[in-house]
Amino acid sequence: MRKSHPIRRVVLATAATVSGVVLLLSLKPASDPASASAVGAAAQQSPQGGTGGGTQASTGSGTVTGDATQTQYGTVQVRLTVAGGKVTRAEAVQAPKGGLSDQKTAMAVPKLNQEAVAAQSARIDSVSGATYTSTGYKKSLQSALDKVKPSSASTGGAAGAAQARTVTGKVTQTQYGPVQVRVTVAGGKVTEAEAVQAPKGGLSDQKTAMAVPKLNQEAVAAGNADIDAVSGATYTSTGYKQSLQSALDQAGG
Amino acid sequence: MTTTLAGGRAARRQTMRRIRPRRSPAVPLLLAVWAGAAAVLWLWWHNTPSIADDNSKILNAGRITGLLAGYLMALVVLQMARVPALERRVGSDRVARWHAMSGRYTLCLIVAHVFLTMWGYALQAGKSLGDIVQQTIDSINQLPDMGKAAIGTGLFVLIGLSSVGGIRRRLPYDTWYHVHLLTYAAVFLTFWHQITTGNDFAVEPTAKTFWYGLYGTVTALVVWYRILTPIRLNLRHRMRVEAVIEETPGIVSVLIGGRRLHRMGAEAGQFFRWRFLAPGMRFSSHPYSLSAAPRPDMLRITVKAIGDHSARLRELTPGTRVWAEGPYGAMTAQRRSRGKVLLVAGGVGITPMRALFETLPGAAGDITLLYRANSTQDLALWDELAKIADERGARLMYAVNSPEGERPDISAENLQRKIPDIDHHDVFMCGPAGFAQSVYEALRGAGVPARRIHHESFEM
Repeated sequence: MRKSHPIRRVVLATAATVSGVVLLLSLKPASDPASASAVGAAAQQSPQGGTGGGTQASTGSGTVTGDATQTQYGTVQVRLTVAGGKVTRAEAVQAPKGGLSDQKTAMAVPKLNQEAVAAQSARIDSVSGATYTSTGYKKSLQSALDKVKPSSASTGGAAGAAQARTVTGKVTQTQYGPVQVRVTVAGGKVTEAEAVQAPKGGLSDQKTAMAVPKLNQEAVAAGNADIDAVSGATYTSTGYKQSLQSALDQAGG
Repeated sequence: MTTTLAGGRAARRQTMRRIRPRRSPAVPLLLAVWAGAAAVLWLWWHNTPSIADDNSKILNAGRITGLLAGYLMALVVLQMARVPALERRVGSDRVARWHAMSGRYTLCLIVAHVFLTMWGYALQAGKSLGDIVQQTIDSINQLPDMGKAAIGTGLFVLIGLSSVGGIRRRLPYDTWYHVHLLTYAAVFLTFWHQITTGNDFAVEPTAKTFWYGLYGTVTALVVWYRILTPIRLNLRHRMRVEAVIEETPGIVSVLIGGRRLHRMGAEAGQFFRWRFLAPGMRFSSHPYSLSAAPRPDMLRITVKAIGDHSARLRELTPGTRVWAEGPYGAMTAQRRSRGKVLLVAGGVGITPMRALFETLPGAAGDITLLYRANSTQDLALWDELAKIADERGARLMYAVNSPEGERPDISAENLQRKIPDIDHHDVFMCGPAGFAQSVYEALRGAGVPARRIHHESFEM
């Protein structure tokens, strides 16, 4: 039964909420302390990182920086710390920045780092909602791993890196647009598969974002075109498989 | 005609009970709500390593408002789930005010969330604030579950508009109520985009589990207490209208029979939401207080004809089936502390006071009822009250306008003169808002502590 003051209450609630949000936002640092130090370290490292990566790797420990990979939203570059031939730490020295990308990077990169250390290879799951970043990360990771373990079987043998070549399959038309697959083959094995063309626009964007990473993974895992279609993206899957087959035919021949 | 429901055995037994005051759980509940809000903010804090530029600040403000809105939304629905702890211990009126307040606040958060997020996305795409509409359309087309979320948000705005004071007064109660029911659809539609596009739930599987837990619990409570409990109650007690009695011009009592009605757990001072299955009345339910302690075979409500619904009550025919939900309300004997009690009734506010007057535990001289009405003809249920006063040794006073239409003076001084030890009383009060407010001030002036004034008000 206390007297109510509706206006006062509205003003108080608004002021409290706005100042609370502003306070929270201003308390956050402008850059992530962890990644800032990593960038600093990378700056010192890079002169030798590019050239000396292999030598360090041969001693069994050190850091290796992968190639910078361009994605739609920015550059991704991975640096690995290697000890005793094993990856003990993975970090992104470059990742997409600005706006939504900050969020996606903050969300995806820690996971990708973890996965990379756990898997000891570039065959890691993409983080959903950050497909481009994940794909870029994996590419850069692969290039770093190639430098670390030139003799590792997983990347296709000692001469693998030199013999690696990319083959692009035929363009396959589907109901929703063309699909074209490019594979990287090293030592007779498919080390990477990607779609250079895929259906675009409206719902197709989502389906492509959903299906293509999966299909790429499956292609690498299977080493042939006998892979499962992604449900919900049957046309894209079928087109992908056809283009993949043609790419594999070229690589084999 | 007067049917006296006074003097039942059950009622007499209640007057002999020990007084056991119970505290309202409002404070611990509010603390839990604040703790939950802090946890939600912590989740954002934990998942956000840094904020680089102004654009990110806008997007993060959008995330904070969105997370808080999602959290409060669940609580806004929970407040209307008719959970007994809220309805009977905190009090339906207080919970309804919380609901209105937090509902308005949540709607503001939703609007802020949509605006900030779309503004942030527009800036990120290299566009300006002016392109926010186009950005919104793009986001709805491209992001998962955003179409649903957009429809849900539209419903929320509609519900909010229909509850704005001026518009609500112009709408028929039923229309407003049915628009309000759309809240469930809106909550369902907006839930999914929180999970699929919400950064914090994508990163933290634990957070996602908690979010499902929160919404799942609220859904379960709504289904249990708003649907299953009333069905069980009505199947068990099978209530029908027994008789309709005109007490005074404009005030009618409805007697409702049924099976084992004392097992419903209703107490004096509580109310049910009643739905009479008669033509034109079956689609809306209305809260009316019991005007007598429940008897095993009979309940009674007393209602003043002010709205469409209450005016139609007098046309009810005996045998009409009744669908009731309840009992609700916290203005019961549990509220009082040890000592004397003053009951203050204004007009038809006599109904819960009449039931309390009959059943509140207390010795002779402990209970006083002050009844305010326009004239002596408007003192509904007076004969019953006089009989109860006589049997219990309670005091009964009335205050009516003078024949010239002058209003009686219920002031601190007058109250103190009539009841010298008024500051040692618990006061229960029921009446129109203006009356309650002036009596409240008079009581405070006469030295009654605020925590001993018990009042139920459904004014928002």
